[in-house]
Amino acid sequence: MRRDEEKGEAAVFQRVVLKNASPYHYMKVCLVLEDESTKLSAVELKQFIITGLKTLYGEVGAALNFDLLKYDEDTFTAVLRVYSKWLVKLWSSLTLNGFYQNQACAFRVLQVSPFLLALSGNSRELQLD
Amino acid sequence: MKVWTGGKQGKQRWRRRSNTTPRSLLVCERSSFCDENNRVSSQVEQLHFNYKVSVLLSDCSSAPSHLESLLTSFSHFYLVRNLPLHELLDKQFLETAVYQGNVYGLSYRTRLDEDNCVALMPNGHLVLSLDKDSFQVLGFEGKTSTFNYKTKNRYVVTVDLTDGSMAPGRQAYLRLLTGLTSRLPLQMDFLLSHHPGGGASLQALLSRYIWSEHKPEVGTCSLTHLPCPDLQSCDPHGLLEWLGAVDANISRDNSSSSFLSSLVCPEPKRTVSRALRISICGLLLPHDVQRLIQELRCYLGQCQPESWVSLTVHGFVDSPVSWGGKEHGVLRGGENFYTLFIFHDHTYHLHLAAGAQDTCPP
Repeated sequence: MRRDEEKGEAAVFQRVVLKNASPYHYMKVCLVLEDESTKLSAVELKQFIITGLKTLYGEVGAALNFDLLKYDEDTFTAVLRVYSKWLVKLWSSLTLNGFYQNQACAFRVLQVSPFLLALSGNSRELQLD
Repeated sequence: MKVWTGGKQGKQRWRRRSNTTPRSLLVCERSSFCDENNRVSSQVEQLHFNYKVSVLLSDCSSAPSHLESLLTSFSHFYLVRNLPLHELLDKQFLETAVYQGNVYGLSYRTRLDEDNCVALMPNGHLVLSLDKDSFQVLGFEGKTSTFNYKTKNRYVVTVDLTDGSMAPGRQAYLRLLTGLTSRLPLQMDFLLSHHPGGGASLQALLSRYIWSEHKPEVGTCSLTHLPCPDLQSCDPHGLLEWLGAVDANISRDNSSSSFLSSLVCPEPKRTVSRALRISICGLLLPHDVQRLIQELRCYLGQCQPESWVSLTVHGFVDSPVSWGGKEHGVLRGGENFYTLFIFHDHTYHLHLAAGAQDTCPP
């Protein structure tokens, strides 16, 4: 953390630079299932991700805290929040999650950012057709 | 798979690095619009390619008419299909648009981490971010991307089109023109906008290709009983997380024991009975954002003392330049955005965020 200018009184210019200070990382992921008619609720999705973590990292992985902030049941798209230090573990377990109830599946990681705000302003979603 | 062959200390360092996330920056500035040295205008001018602006007005249920008319008056932009890049060096285009200043151009649907990307900045600088093969075929002076200096697989070519050496007919101009016509005939969909000339100054170029005119898309949404943290004392990351949750319609009514999510509004909080969220998407010019900030300040002057306004501007992820024309890259997210909170007493909080492949916002 660096403080560049500070002059004491109320309306003074103050600048603070925070480097790697975000406690969380946010992931926008989409689950692609072989059978698209499968129904999957938010609770089931979170349970599925926890199972994947347990398979890869054992009990330590299963105890890893993450939040499912938002989930769209029609597109299987979810927004996850995880502590920055656990991002690599969560991401790797999502990558290796290959089967859901005996059908092939894959997680597509659409966007990852240390700022939740960045997930609602992704210019790659701009459609002009 | 990578196998470590070095010493014990090096192995620990390697392990630590492979478990950490790439760097991110958040610059927080506080000052007042009344302070002569405030830097809001210069910061707004320095982010050239804006994709989305979202505004949150507290204690407001419908957009004031003058604000609505301002939003609909944002500059239109043009999408040109399969534009050969050498057209940007066309003498007529240079004279009618580039030399007059304020032309904004950006390649559309090209990804900075895998494709060739191009930006034409309002100061007449043309920036090409090229992969190694394309750069070598082009045969024009450039430098290794700051963020790929080890692997050397991406190069950046920056050309000042307003410079005397790049005047049509000069040696450097001809070399780049030959490169883009014969050696590397790049074609891409291109977004173009010109202020204040609008479409007239671009007409000659547009008429030769398939193009369409687009108006920035405006959306509004009213919110009620919005839990809101104390903006003066809240930690910047907590504040941006809360604003991100409001922007993405994410529920914050959770308890610490709930299974799905434990996201809550930071304490201390108060409930804002009504609020309005406005978003506008497209190729948005800094000039229009400046006008919007002025309008929001006028609006705040007529509101209650506890009212505030937030304005978030997201830059294009795949723009080869971000803050102040400095190089930008996409490692994972490519985020470059800023959030401005404006208060009734003319003070403001500005948060500028940059991802792993960005220089620190100036």
